[in-house]
Amino acid sequence: MTAAALEVRALHKTAHVGFSRRPVEILRGVDFTVGPNEVYGLLGPNGAGKTTTVKVALGLMRPTSGSVALGVKGLSHVGYLPENPYFYDYLSGREFLGFCARLFGFDGAARHERVDGLLRDVSLERAADTQLRKYSKGMLQRIGIAQALINDPELVLLDEPMTGLDPVGRVEVKRIIERLHERGKTVMFNSHILSDVHELCSRIAIMREGRVVWEGAVAEALDEAPSLEDFFMKVVTG
Amino acid sequence: MKQVVAIAVNTFRETIRDRVLAVIVVFALLMIAGGLWLGSISLGEQGRMMKDFGLVAVTGFGLIVAVFVAASLVHKEVEKRTVFVLFSKPVSRAAFITGKFIGLCGTMAMVLAGMGLFLFALVWIVAGQASGMVLLAVLMIYVQLLAVVAVTIFFSTMGSAILAAVLGICVFVAGQLSHNVLALTRLGKNPITEALSWVVYVIIPNFSAVDVKAGAVGEQTLAWGQIGLWTAYLLAYIVVALALATVIFRRKEF
Repeated sequence: MTAAALEVRALHKTAHVGFSRRPVEILRGVDFTVGPNEVYGLLGPNGAGKTTTVKVALGLMRPTSGSVALGVKGLSHVGYLPENPYFYDYLSGREFLGFCARLFGFDGAARHERVDGLLRDVSLERAADTQLRKYSKGMLQRIGIAQALINDPELVLLDEPMTGLDPVGRVEVKRIIERLHERGKTVMFNSHILSDVHELCSRIAIMREGRVVWEGAVAEALDEAPSLEDFFMKVVTG
Repeated sequence: MKQVVAIAVNTFRETIRDRVLAVIVVFALLMIAGGLWLGSISLGEQGRMMKDFGLVAVTGFGLIVAVFVAASLVHKEVEKRTVFVLFSKPVSRAAFITGKFIGLCGTMAMVLAGMGLFLFALVWIVAGQASGMVLLAVLMIYVQLLAVVAVTIFFSTMGSAILAAVLGICVFVAGQLSHNVLALTRLGKNPITEALSWVVYVIIPNFSAVDVKAGAVGEQTLAWGQIGLWTAYLLAYIVVALALATVIFRRKEF
């Protein structure tokens, strides 16, 4: 891994919407850097451009200008959990993870081992052979996290990983993120749950209207306000 | 290549388990069995009537499966945002389109084999004719429907699923008629209509050239060399349609 796990520079994205192809600026020069082995929080109100930034980083969208540099060798070393994930209804959890493992070239025993290990990690062993259409929202979120980790990625991007989870599920996901950190992985996640961000992240960036308006260590933010919530409100409304 | 196989297997699993597919196949089998009644009221032509009616049913229901499943294949992935999971992994758009196509080829093979073997058994048991030509006719229907699948996938990368399905059906119908329309316009000696029908004839695959239903029911002697050439043409057509679908799909953002 190079100096930065993810480096975003002057990123602009303009989408053309509607019949008249009206241009809408989604990103207006996003800059931030995620260092190696950091747990990094990308925060901001709805519509700030967090998800778009991640999508551009993954190549799901093309930037209008600017650059995104992954500090890993391609998508083979990246894991991604989309927001409100939806998967294949008629596959079981085990089949779905097996499918994801095949996409990374895992075969035979290695694939089974990886799938079983992840099902255990996200506490879905009992539901492993149940079709995904019968999963609850929280179970889908957990299988989504499992698929993001199937390739044992160096860089993990999680879009709202706590959404839809009950308190037990949230604790489990937080433990997973902590374990990833302990194993030297880099994690960047978007979240509106600031207590989780406070607990997990070493650094954060706060986005507003397509720009990063503040970037720094969580400790720095807490020097300026009594809580991360207060600091966040100050930054996004200020 | 591993990605293509993984996507093909996944597509096959997903489509073969769809209950709508099971319902369509049950209806198709009932329709084919309905040929028994038609056969019973046709004097001395029971076997022929059953084959004729059965092959039309196989074509019709096969077309429904091909067009509606193909039209929704790519769309469903985009609408339900499973593409986020796929394309955030090292999966190329070409592997995605090719895998989807091959997976659906597997599903179509299962569906048509089921219908074809049912028809074959029915004709054998009721009319005492073990007609291998019925199976060959089903195989050629399969080849035609694969071209329809490829064309429908191509349309689905450009517009809505419904539009892709409608256009897929239009291509199939036009491909059945284009040869006759060209022959008719040549008789009319109008250069504009003749040129137009020539363009349609070139753009739309000539499905009638590989249709061996008439041969299966004994109405026509088959020119195997011609059928082989047209089959190769249809396979090339499939490759071109999938390549174009990939080019368009590459430009898409999610």
